[in-house]
Amino acid sequence: MYRFVEHTAELEVELEAGSAEGVLLEALHAFADLVDGGDGEKLERQVVLSAGDLPALLAAWLDELLFLAETEQLVPDGAELRVAGTTVEGVVRGRRGEPRPLVKAVTLHRLRFGPRDGVWTGRVVLDV
Amino acid sequence: MSELVRIDETTWELPAREGMRVPARVFADDEILAEIEGDLSLDQLCNVATLPGVVEAAIAMPDIHQGYGFPVGGVAATELPDGVVSPGGVGYDINCGVRLLALPLSEPELGDRREALVHEISRAVPAGAGKHGRRALAPTALDAVLHDGPRALPGVREDDVERTESRGRLEGADPAAVSERARLRGHDQLGTMGSGNHFVELQVVEQLLDEASARTFGLAAGQVTVLVHSGSRGLGHQVCTDYVKLMDAQLARYRIHLPDRQLACAPASSVEGRRYLAAMAAAANFAWANRQAIADGVRRAVAAVLGADVARGTEQVYDVAHNVAKVETHGGRRVCVHRKGATRAFPAGSDEIPAAYRDVGQPVFIPGSMGTASFVLAGEPGALERSFGTTCHGAGRRLSRTAARKRVQGSELRRELEARGIVVRCPSPKGLAEEAPLAYKDVDRVVRVVEQAGLARRVARLTPLGVVKG
Repeated sequence: MYRFVEHTAELEVELEAGSAEGVLLEALHAFADLVDGGDGEKLERQVVLSAGDLPALLAAWLDELLFLAETEQLVPDGAELRVAGTTVEGVVRGRRGEPRPLVKAVTLHRLRFGPRDGVWTGRVVLDV
Repeated sequence: MSELVRIDETTWELPAREGMRVPARVFADDEILAEIEGDLSLDQLCNVATLPGVVEAAIAMPDIHQGYGFPVGGVAATELPDGVVSPGGVGYDINCGVRLLALPLSEPELGDRREALVHEISRAVPAGAGKHGRRALAPTALDAVLHDGPRALPGVREDDVERTESRGRLEGADPAAVSERARLRGHDQLGTMGSGNHFVELQVVEQLLDEASARTFGLAAGQVTVLVHSGSRGLGHQVCTDYVKLMDAQLARYRIHLPDRQLACAPASSVEGRRYLAAMAAAANFAWANRQAIADGVRRAVAAVLGADVARGTEQVYDVAHNVAKVETHGGRRVCVHRKGATRAFPAGSDEIPAAYRDVGQPVFIPGSMGTASFVLAGEPGALERSFGTTCHGAGRRLSRTAARKRVQGSELRRELEARGIVVRCPSPKGLAEEAPLAYKDVDRVVRVVEQAGLARRVARLTPLGVVKG
């Protein structure tokens, strides 16, 4: 599950899933919702990302999706991921399109990602 | 925040407490203050006041609103050499800013060519979605832009460069401090506007509030103008991302404790601090070149619709940055002034101002929101005395994008604007609704506050004829 919460200037997203991989997938769907417009050829890209801690891994993941959208016009629609510690590895799938250049960056403000009471949750503020 | 102490009609202070090294100072009237207290912007301002080396006060302009780390509409000066520099205090869109062009014709002379001109501008200045309209720069050409700003572009007009803050080039820019990832994001984005609150707006000078200064800036009542709002695009966004990450990882090493991770910083004299300032300067130069390329696009559109003579006679009034950190001297101290959603506003006499404007003060442009007014201001001496030579940068948001969409639909807003004679070009109805006038504070009120506070004075009020949004 992902939902956008009130923030005066930027976009704050709350994420929840049964696993770390699930939260990252929810983040992908939230990002795809914001950029719209992938109806071209199918694309697949391998990703291997590491960070100093779990919240930074969530930021790095979204930063990678943003990079792929800007440089390859990849609008993501799914991924196969494996999280081990503070590393994520896998494949991002989507279509080439004209992603709306709305999201500028992924901030560390109010950033959260981890397990709590049997579920995994995340929160991230995007600069738009 | 009940602890706010009223200093005078438009100045409020929150005394230093709980880790704050300096007080927090806010410029606002009662109504604006009530709006400011509706979100977390004052908490964020107090967090800024904890930064190592911060001097005098963490300052908020009347357009302040909640951001990430620093509030938008915030100013913080840190004393050099060892005060910190914080990439988040500049923001991801390094040197986001505004450029005003003045056309050599009046609204009646433009007549029924208004829609054609707005349409042509929308073709000449792409938002940057997909590959449409992008021109890739070779690595050496990109290096030149990062180092020299607009001067590196072919055929650039010297009068444009002269009428740009810092003449479009920050000293100390080092292309080698800009990552490959940032280059990949930005190399084909020059001349693109971006999305969100970025725009190109066709306007008319509706009212002159200081005729002599307006004349000096080349503005007359009824004249047609074009206001460009854009920044450093993906290149600048990535530079900030890279250095926030780097400094976040080094906080323990410098024994810096922060209330918000996004305030990540390092001493300006450290390796990380110096390298960030060099990369930020390069991204700022890229942004000035971007607005130059957009202005070239606008002139091409003007030539196509109104003729080559009108395009040649389209003069740049000025170009100001509102997301940048600069090394300046204030009160005898060398400081790094972070302006995040805030505009430099030096008064008359400053040698930082183009010679032609030196007797009246630096021009400042305050975009309102789509469908409302924008203002041309001039810097006043009070800015140097009270806000490190700074004034506001816009109306300031009061509603989130979600809240704006709940109140108005894009199609409805488009009809409303068109009924008022404003031509709209925006591919996304959702994006249009998110930037609706009701999402912003009253810009007239905001500029009255900065005038009353002695930071800048009103010179001219501009109203929209057409808007192009990404």
